[in-house]
Order: sequence, then structure tokens, then C-alpha cells
Amino acid sequence: MAQYRTQVRIIADVLSTARDQNTEGTGVGITTLLRKGNMSYGRLTKLLSELVGSGLLVELDGEKISKYVISQKGIQFLTAYYAFEDFAQSFGLRL
Amino acid sequence: MGLIQNLLQFIGVFVSFSIAYVAYRGVRQTESSSLLRLATAFVFLGFGFLVEGMVGLPKIFPFQPIATTAVVVGGLLLETTGYFFLAFSHVIDVLISKRLGVALLVFPVITLTSTQLADILSILSFYFVLYGVVETVYSYARTRKPDTLLIALGLSLIGVGTFFQWLSLLYQYVGVLSLLQIILQEMGLLMLFTPVLSFAAGGVKANGTV
Repeated sequence: MAQYRTQVRIIADVLSTARDQNTEGTGVGITTLLRKGNMSYGRLTKLLSELVGSGLLVELDGEKISKYVISQKGIQFLTAYYAFEDFAQSFGLRL
Repeated sequence: MGLIQNLLQFIGVFVSFSIAYVAYRGVRQTESSSLLRLATAFVFLGFGFLVEGMVGLPKIFPFQPIATTAVVVGGLLLETTGYFFLAFSHVIDVLISKRLGVALLVFPVITLTSTQLADILSILSFYFVLYGVVETVYSYARTRKPDTLLIALGLSLIGVGTFFQWLSLLYQYVGVLSLLQIILQEMGLLMLFTPVLSFAAGGVKANGTV
């Protein structure tokens, strides 16, 4: 059954995709983020600019398309997110 | 025996405020509304236990009898509000996840014969805790996380304790019920402390995997 995702969950999904799919170290393209993030193009681009603005993602200017890399701040956010998700789940709740 | 009961309440104060603190840190870092409700619930519970614990220390807080009754009811009110927020967190979680949830429409098998406020508050607490238990067990069925099962068990003990609390209000000469209630409640609260210990122990790896 499809489940409603909270905003913080969506951010965590995008950041974890940027972290896990960046195997070559050249960043992750918007197509990969779209496929893994499961959201519309318009919503994703808006979210990406917010995440870049807040320093959680770093935008790499490529020849044709922009690619994204998770920042140190983003990694810290993800670590904290998983810790608090675990805490909330213990009480039967979701973040 | 009364002094032991009141001192035991302070374990509840410590556990409640610890959970509230971790939840509040979560609110600050993730802006999660679930954690905000959890923090609110345990702040109320902590203050509730604090007030109830202080009542039994007459040498330190020499209340007048009428003030003592008011403080006891005030403590129970805070405690019930805490349990309400705990149940409310689950209600919101059910609504957000768009699932039907476990509709617990069975009211306690107790009839409201007394109009005493303390009685009503105890029954309400029992109902809220019961709802929390059902939803936590449901969540365990989904996540299979051992900590969640432990929390469900802890809430069950608190629920049974709340039931005994109601019984002790009904039968005022049964002092053993009060002691049993506080022991069950503290055992339950100590179980709720497990996630705080896990959090403090840093059970999350650096790469973010649990």
C-alpha cells in the first residue's frame, strides 16, 4: 500500500539517493533523483534548489546538466534523521 | 510505604523528561511534528509525576489538606494530558499514513459511577494508554522492531498501573493497590527509557544505516 511521505522523509530520500548513487564521485543527475525520489519534475527541482540553498546538497555545473553531491552538512542531517527515525519508531511513530 | 511511592514517582520524572529531551532534540533537527507531540506528551507526564511525587513529601512541601487534594488532581490532570498527547500522536500517525488503524472504540469495562474528577482522569488515562498500546503493537507488526515491542509492553504495564490507580481511588483502604500501581508504572516507564539509552549509545552507524 502506498504511504504518504512527510516532507522530512522526502528530503531524507533525496539526500540518501544523492549519497548512495554517487558511486563514481561525479555527482547524481536529476534523472536518477527523479527515478529514486518518486516525485514530479517540478516538485523535485524546487526541492533541489531549497536543499542547495540550505547547504545540504552541492550543485556541480556540468556541460549539459547539473549534478548533485551530498554535502557534509547533508550527511550529518541524514545521520541525525536515521537516529531520530529509529527513536520515533520505537514508540510506534513515524517521522 | 507512602514515602517510597512518592520517591518512585521521581524515577518517572527522570524517564519522562529524558524522553522529552531526546524528542525535543529531534524536533529541532528534523522539524518532525510526531516528535513534537511525543515531547509534549512526556513533558506533561514528567510534570504530572513531579507534582504527584511532591505531594508525598509533606516535610518539604507542607500543603494544607485542601491544597493537597487540589495538587493531586492537578498532577493527575497533567498525567492524563500527557497520555492524551501520546494517544493523539498515534491518531495523527494513523491519519497521515492513510490507513484505517486499529479503531479502539471499546471503552473500559468500567462504568462511570463516581463523578470524582480523579476517577474520571484515571479512567481517561487508562483509555489513552490502552489506545497507545494497541497502536504500538500494530506498529510492531509492521516494523518488527524489538524496541517497539518493548515500548508496547512498557505501555501495557503503565496501563495496568493506571487501572490499579483507579481501583485504589475507588477502594481507599487498599493501600497495596497504590503501591502495586506505582511499581507497575515505574517498570513500564523504565521500559520506555530503552530508546533513550539506544539513542545515547549511538546505535546509528555513521553512514546513516540503522
